[in-house]
Amino acid sequence: MLSRATRAIGTRSPLPILQGVLIEVTGKTMRVTGTDLEVTIRTDLEVEVLEEGTTVIPARLASEAVRKLPPGAVVLQAADGEVEITGGGPQFRFRELPADDFPKIAEPDLTGAVEVDGNAFASALSQVAVAASNDDARPILTGVFFESEGGSLRMVATDSYRLAVRDLPSMEAELSGLVPVRALRELKRTVGASTLRVAIGAREATFASDRGTLTARLIEGTFPNYRQLIPESYPNRVTLDRDALLDAVDRASLVAEDHIPVRLMLQEGGVELSVIRQDVGGETEHVPADYAGQEMTIAFNSRYLNDGLSVVDGDEVVLDLMDPLKPGVLRGTGSDDFLYLLMPVRL
Amino acid sequence: MRLIVARCSVDYAGRLSARLPSAVRLIMVKADGSVLVHADGGSYKPLNWMNAPNHVEEGEGRWTITNPKGETLVITLEEVLSDSSHDLGTDPGLDKDGVEADLQVLLADHPGEIEEGMTLLEREYATDIGPVDLLCRAADGQVVAVEIKRRGEIDGVEQLTRYLEFLNRDPLLAPVRGVLAAQAIKPQAKTLAADRGIGCVEVDYDALRGIESNVLRLF
Repeated sequence: MLSRATRAIGTRSPLPILQGVLIEVTGKTMRVTGTDLEVTIRTDLEVEVLEEGTTVIPARLASEAVRKLPPGAVVLQAADGEVEITGGGPQFRFRELPADDFPKIAEPDLTGAVEVDGNAFASALSQVAVAASNDDARPILTGVFFESEGGSLRMVATDSYRLAVRDLPSMEAELSGLVPVRALRELKRTVGASTLRVAIGAREATFASDRGTLTARLIEGTFPNYRQLIPESYPNRVTLDRDALLDAVDRASLVAEDHIPVRLMLQEGGVELSVIRQDVGGETEHVPADYAGQEMTIAFNSRYLNDGLSVVDGDEVVLDLMDPLKPGVLRGTGSDDFLYLLMPVRL
Repeated sequence: MRLIVARCSVDYAGRLSARLPSAVRLIMVKADGSVLVHADGGSYKPLNWMNAPNHVEEGEGRWTITNPKGETLVITLEEVLSDSSHDLGTDPGLDKDGVEADLQVLLADHPGEIEEGMTLLEREYATDIGPVDLLCRAADGQVVAVEIKRRGEIDGVEQLTRYLEFLNRDPLLAPVRGVLAAQAIKPQAKTLAADRGIGCVEVDYDALRGIESNVLRLF
């Protein structure tokens, strides 16, 4: 539980106190809270309490110390400005951080929370999170946008090169907001469980399970109008085995660097996949496929293509295309719940 | 921000003595406490000023501003024509020069143009002393901090030196070396950079823009 709360802690916080986790022991429960002020993770554990109290201890050190103790019960004892962590023989002592300096964080707000299948939710999130940006210079793109869409909960992410849209069907919940992908990436490892309660308020999103709660401050701003990016029809369609294309892209990636695209020559009978790197060499191969449309060569960033193929549902995928300069849409055959829109690279 | 238009004279005593005889001037008192006396000309430069931190004693027709260095600015107000205060709020800061911001985007997309085999780790890598334009990994695996300027001058080298000193304290990143990337780099900056083991790369903005056109965006 220490390591779960520690996942909220940033590596470069200017406030030393935020390198610590707050431990509160009351009644029969120990609560551990970690925060970087944007993301807060709380975990609760029923413990044998000898004395109630509050302390802040260095998060990573304490977490690693507990992890390295022999299996069995662990005792935490705070006294005289130090916290002693013992278990099975070894005894760690860490200087306490001033508990009064730890930010006062409001209790998680689960007003209007909806209960979701935690595994389905995590799986849907993992499909869209790949398309979110990690570039803090454009914060709007570093989130996953949640909205209700025709009885489904829709999740959308884009980094301006690709766009992922996933609908979780049969969810009438009114959830709307832009949640930092950094927080969502921690969800599974921290509070992920088979049942999850989700609430998105005006300023924060809260995810709760019997393992604890994760609260993330929403990203302010208007998410791009993604609907207008999705073409309504496509004259060209290639259908192929997902793993075969994924393996081929993976092999091509050996040669391709990030800025060297993978070329797909689409023709009847299949796809000629190739990559050429002037100073190194290249790779070519044939991937069997059903192709309906005009012969064309289109190129994609190999990593972006690989990301999309890795998360699309099903054994067979469909790539719908307009022309070599317009975005292509990747989906699993027979599945309308997820689409991955990908901008090509000009050859 | 307090703006006072007044007929006044100003006496400065400190490193030297100076007097501004009586005339109508603009006195600016900024939220940080700095006091500036402007004439109706001379562009951005005040006739006299005192930076914060300082102490302003506002007497009847006479302001005395002192600072910890022992300097004194005395403003004698003869006639106040206007006195107004405005809350300017938090300043968003200066937008980077368009070319410089563009260069950052372009080089982030094509770090190989800085050095063969270089890959981008993070753009605007946050540190406690400010964001490093690009944090990259060189072909040999070493972490490289890249500072991007339109014109490479000594202050760019100084800025990068501060980042390097900070980044090299992080055992997960160290040893970090630096590269100053600019459209043109002044000889003095190159000399100082070489002395500090910092690389210099002059990049062709127009050529980079040509490369960028291959990378299509959704919006």
